[in-house]
Amino acid sequence: MKTLPDVGAEIPTQVHSPTALDLFMFSASAWLLHRIHYDTPFTIEHEGHPGLLIHGPLQGVYLAQAAEAYLADVARLQSMTYRHLAPAYLGDQLECGGIVSASDRDGIDLDLWARKPDGTSTTTGTARFVLR
Amino acid sequence: MTPLITAEARAWADRKYPDFDFQVTPTDIARFARATGETNPIHFDHEQAAKAGYSDVVAPTMFPYVIRQHGSALVPREELELDGSPGTDVPPLPTRRAMAGETAIEFGPPILAGDTITVRKRLADMYEKQGRSGPLVFVEMEFTFTNQRGATVAKESFTRIYR
Repeated sequence: MKTLPDVGAEIPTQVHSPTALDLFMFSASAWLLHRIHYDTPFTIEHEGHPGLLIHGPLQGVYLAQAAEAYLADVARLQSMTYRHLAPAYLGDQLECGGIVSASDRDGIDLDLWARKPDGTSTTTGTARFVLR
Repeated sequence: MTPLITAEARAWADRKYPDFDFQVTPTDIARFARATGETNPIHFDHEQAAKAGYSDVVAPTMFPYVIRQHGSALVPREELELDGSPGTDVPPLPTRRAMAGETAIEFGPPILAGDTITVRKRLADMYEKQGRSGPLVFVEMEFTFTNQRGATVAKESFTRIYR
């Protein structure tokens, strides 16, 4: 088996700049009908946002993907938590990364984030992996 | 301050929703995998999935979201609100403007094409907090995902915020 990661090690950042097409595909694949992800006039006029929102659950997927890309060879994702702190809009670039917060034979914990280039975290979370 | 959670809304606490069955097809899996940029062939190709030790194509980790979203939103057209969200599965609140809040999810064995996943849904908690721009209502839903063999493939707690 490969060696355990060090506490404090950073996981490789995955950068996402979803387009309107990406937002629509995600909505369609999940039967997510909320108009704030595809109807720009409605989103601006009725909901008071400057543009379409990048789905919270899509950001959850991004965090899971960044975590699994780093650890899936040695460990299985057992649980995850994440919360949304600030809206992410169409046009925003999200840097999805994390850091190892615990690492031993019982499992590996990660702190995760999706963050805009200006440093604003839109989503933060944690993931727990157990060794395969 | 007038409470946003009225007695009528409060009565929804601990509400259990009817179970929802989702029959997982390879198409559902491929669609979600494409939408989220997955490239691993185990999500698309039966033979590659078999080589990796699975009996059929494997759903990406966050696929339970697709299942519970169908359970909530695959309703008759007239049950959808103006904003497209289902109107019948949330307590009567003075606001419908919703944001995703917090998620905690545990994963069990993988979800495979051919599975029938039963979703059990419960309104676990409901509370009010003062936000920066006014009062907020937090509604916490609990979902349990069980496959046709009785194994729990995921458990999720999801909090939606109404402002």
